Amino acid sequence: MNELQYLIGVIIAMALATYFTRLIPFVLFGTGKESSLLNYVAKSTPPMVMMILVVYMLKDVNYHSFELVYTFLSIAITIGLHVYKRNALLSIVTGTAIYMFFVQM
Amino acid sequence: MKFLIIVLFGFFKLLFIEMIQSAIKVSLPIMFGFVPLGIAFGLLFQDLGYPWYFASLMGIIVYAGAAQFMAIGFLSVGLGIVEIAMSTFFLNSRHMFYGLSFLESFGNWNLRKLYLIFGMTDETYALLTTIKVPKSFQKERYYLYITLFSQIYWVFGCTIGALLADILTFNTNGMEFAATALFVVLLIEQWIMVRKLLPFIVGFISSIIALVFFLDHMLLVAIMVSIISIVLLRLIKVNHYE
Repeated sequence: MNELQYLIGVIIAMALATYFTRLIPFVLFGTGKESSLLNYVAKSTPPMVMMILVVYMLKDVNYHSFELVYTFLSIAITIGLHVYKRNALLSIVTGTAIYMFFVQM
Repeated sequence: MKFLIIVLFGFFKLLFIEMIQSAIKVSLPIMFGFVPLGIAFGLLFQDLGYPWYFASLMGIIVYAGAAQFMAIGFLSVGLGIVEIAMSTFFLNSRHMFYGLSFLESFGNWNLRKLYLIFGMTDETYALLTTIKVPKSFQKERYYLYITLFSQIYWVFGCTIGALLADILTFNTNGMEFAATALFVVLLIEQWIMVRKLLPFIVGFISSIIALVFFLDHMLLVAIMVSIISIVLLRLIKVNHYE
């Protein structure tokens, strides 16, 4: 097997593995209309996952450095702006710009 | 009659354009996250010495951020295909839980549904579960546009990174914060929609548990713990009322 065949094999294997993980619930649960428990789980999952994703993104922040300060400053500004204006793009772009300013400073 | 057809046609055309514009606007935060991240992937991938278009190909048919970064490490040491497939499966297994929220809203089985399932990354999941689809839009089609645009941003980033590996000078340091900011904004939107503390608390506690005990698989463990907890809490509550 040469280099390129190996790479193509890896890409196809990864594509299948990834698609499989995303497809499983649809195959297992069909349209999911019957179960009220499943409905409840489906409704509760987004807020839980969002909370988890936020914690996940912050887990590598160095807690003994200036990084902690500007990370939370950027988040505070993102939250404040979003609560005040409720314009997702504006909040995200402003928060990110402030973060980038401190990182590149 | 002819007039009516023209009016109807114009109306549909307007609606599609409106839907596409809206989908682009809604998915822009994903663009800010995906393009720089894709560029970072393309740059690293180019170090492996393969032709640039394989970076694009990975973005097109694998389409998984973390797994693609992981693959660079695996490819550089020549790990076996089976091992790579299994690692990819475990790394992405959190996506198994994402589909639960779309069992109905992805509609009937057809090519579009297969693509919507394919395109469900962390970012698209977060966005699709949070946005309100305007009443005049057909939901599945609107989802399709958002998912498609998101993948286009990703493939674009991967390609640009791989192509410009030698000459890229724009300093994208810190742009990855766009993903954090997106999740924070969507968290607020979820709060406005749900207005119940319980899932947020369960999510937070599960994150902490996963962080403390399973740092390497934090995302998957946290999602599993939170879903198991919410199911148990529900069962206890239902029994309590009966």
